[in-house]
Amino acid sequence: MIIEALEVVFLFSTALMMAYLIRHYVFTLTVLRRTKKARANVAADAKYEPTVSILIPARDEEQVIGRLLQRMTELTYPRNKLQVITIDDASSDSTRQIAEEFSKRYSFIEVLHRDKKNGGKGKASAMNSGLERSTGEIVLCFDADYYPQTDIVEKLVKEFVDPAVGAVQGRPVVLNEAQNVVTRLVTLERIGGYRVDQEARDNLGLIPQFGGTVGGFRRSVMEKLGGFDVSMLTEDTDLTFQVYLAGFKVRYVGDAECYEEAVDNLKAYWRQRHRWARGHMQVCFKHTSRVLRSKKLNTKEKIDGLLLLHIYFVPVLTLISFFVGLSLILSESSQLVNALWLFVPVSFYSLVGNFAPFFEIGIGAYLDGRTRIQWLIPLLLFAYWYNILICTKALLDIFAAKMFGKSQSDWAKTRHLGNGNHYIVN
Amino acid sequence: MIQNLTSIIAILIVTTPILILIMFLPALLELKKPKDGGPRMIMGSIPTVNMRLVRVIPIVNMEDEQKFDRSLIQTLTRIIEALPSLEV
Repeated sequence: MIIEALEVVFLFSTALMMAYLIRHYVFTLTVLRRTKKARANVAADAKYEPTVSILIPARDEEQVIGRLLQRMTELTYPRNKLQVITIDDASSDSTRQIAEEFSKRYSFIEVLHRDKKNGGKGKASAMNSGLERSTGEIVLCFDADYYPQTDIVEKLVKEFVDPAVGAVQGRPVVLNEAQNVVTRLVTLERIGGYRVDQEARDNLGLIPQFGGTVGGFRRSVMEKLGGFDVSMLTEDTDLTFQVYLAGFKVRYVGDAECYEEAVDNLKAYWRQRHRWARGHMQVCFKHTSRVLRSKKLNTKEKIDGLLLLHIYFVPVLTLISFFVGLSLILSESSQLVNALWLFVPVSFYSLVGNFAPFFEIGIGAYLDGRTRIQWLIPLLLFAYWYNILICTKALLDIFAAKMFGKSQSDWAKTRHLGNGNHYIVN
Repeated sequence: MIQNLTSIIAILIVTTPILILIMFLPALLELKKPKDGGPRMIMGSIPTVNMRLVRVIPIVNMEDEQKFDRSLIQTLTRIIEALPSLEV
């Protein structure tokens, strides 16, 4: 009885990982073939220049905020239609002072200060405050460590010509890539995630994800949704599904690029990915049944939505299937074990996840014209094993929080040091 | 059976390090001597702007030099016009 149950678990987990394998390969081939879904050509050549508000949530970002605000003054979008709001969220350093210096010199830059009593309650809460102050028809957001192209506003905003578009997402590019092996591996992950994954999901009419930065949304849609959900650690993923469930779309704009500062050590990597995993799992629990029942999503959007929602469970599944497989081998009574010709490769495949994401990253680097960085791809195996631990811990933390009622939405922010500044000459 | 197991283990002990080395050697080489350490240059990033500035500055300087030349000539012309004629 136990053996049969373990066999079912093993086969189910293997089948699920096969689904993700197929998904990754489909995405990679789509981007390689440059297959683009024909979009409704809505006033493509009209001069569309709505008012735009840019929100910059910042907490203890004195090392980087000045760089970004200086960049805001160099944007090519008409200044009379631009509003930049720095949300100083109870910073304990000189973030506020730096932002206020810019605010004094430039009338389109404002500072919203949240004190310790009202602030420090998470990025979603800070963003909602900024949203209340903002006036633009379109609201864009940049994290404080980002450094965009000067024409990024035009590139992102033009997608909103289509009234079906509720949110847009651009492409982050790691600025401090050369710093160490951690930043180089993060760069590889970003290449796979944006150059291939997001691009393919947009091309195929699936669900590109709004990432919370280098992107934005339509104010009217946001008002309809009631703002960001402050109980979510990953309010951006939550917003993605809220937008689709409300009948709108998210567009990925691959040529709207922006530098970002990647985490540069394993501890920071753990903290960041742990937050992402936990937040994403929260969103999964919240939206899975809604996605299944939704009449606003078509079949392929539902399938992709479900795969996207559960993606952070895949590393946990890898761990489970490894131990289950090992148990089946040691039990000596499993019928599966007798089919060694199938069992061995399937077991090995379960141990290392699957190589499709690595293929995706390799192709992404190739499309970026960067072949040398592909040499580092085998090192992602260690990153994957690290992520197995991270995602498993995240899941356990969610269960513990449910049982003991601990708050999950604290601003577990990444510390930014302005690394990579030497690539940006003042 | 035990002999087979021993053989398998022996083969694994010998081949596994070789396989690992083959798999990770390119990565180690790239980390040791990076040929492409990044970051990827994005359109509209500062380095591109800097390149444009480098091209623009000489032109600006040339224009400034021309302006200087013209004003100098104009000044000299006015001086010469003001001087009494030395022709006899």
